[in-house]
Amino acid sequence: MNGDITNIIFILFKFLILFGFGLYIVFASVILRQEQLMAQVLEESFEPVLRFASILHLIAAIAVFLLALLIL
Amino acid sequence: MPTVFEEKKKEKILVNRVPLVERTIMTPLTSFAVSPEGIRFETQEKEEKVVLFLRQHLVVLLGPTLLVILLALSPVLLFPFLLQFLTLPIDVPIQYVVVGTAFWYVVTFGYALMSFLRWFFNIYVVTDKRIVDIDFLHLLYKEFSEARLERIQDINFKSGGIFAAFFDYGDAYVQTAAEMPNIEFVAVPQPAKVVETISDLLEKQKISS
Repeated sequence: MNGDITNIIFILFKFLILFGFGLYIVFASVILRQEQLMAQVLEESFEPVLRFASILHLIAAIAVFLLALLIL
Repeated sequence: MPTVFEEKKKEKILVNRVPLVERTIMTPLTSFAVSPEGIRFETQEKEEKVVLFLRQHLVVLLGPTLLVILLALSPVLLFPFLLQFLTLPIDVPIQYVVVGTAFWYVVTFGYALMSFLRWFFNIYVVTDKRIVDIDFLHLLYKEFSEARLERIQDINFKSGGIFAAFFDYGDAYVQTAAEMPNIEFVAVPQPAKVVETISDLLEKQKISS
């Protein structure tokens, strides 16, 4: 009985975590878009590195979401 | 027949009259650049030359950098230390610890990236025609203001505090005609030099007109 309640709590917790991680993916996409827009405002040689960092951040956010989906 | 001393004095005056041609090579962390190369900003006209390119002094990144270091070290040092004094009612499965730690580092990276982007794209440009202030205030919020040199009425700067005095940074204010917004250069390096450069440009503008 106690184990069932714990299981239910963990399932609810998993959905909450996935929802939070999903929101974070949206946030990471917004950062990438904003970086693209700002790159039009200022053209500089270092900009591709920032673009790469923003893409890496989005990929990392998606990877953590998938990891949570698979192992939780 | 001039004496040796008079000759030397003459030379000194001539050297002082030669305009100092400085060109700053841009790096990702450049916050003060005189006539930089390889920089273009939105709305820059073809024949318009960038005289001064500014960002906030690097010292403004000190706080976020320290926070990022603290956040990065927390799962390794701080959390195990705190968990010694905490007893959880349930055992947290190892999968949750793995996912939680991974997410923690992604968020830390995101915070570092956001802080850097905000600093990197928050720029002040002085050209031979106008002063431009581009602010990247929040996510999805950009502010662009400019003032033509002929519209500028007054410029001054303010620098106060131990940090500002030590690292030589401060705020420069550009006051324009009443209907135009004033431009504020916040925490820029060498504010006295910024004001001096703008004053020189204004004088040149007056002479040419």
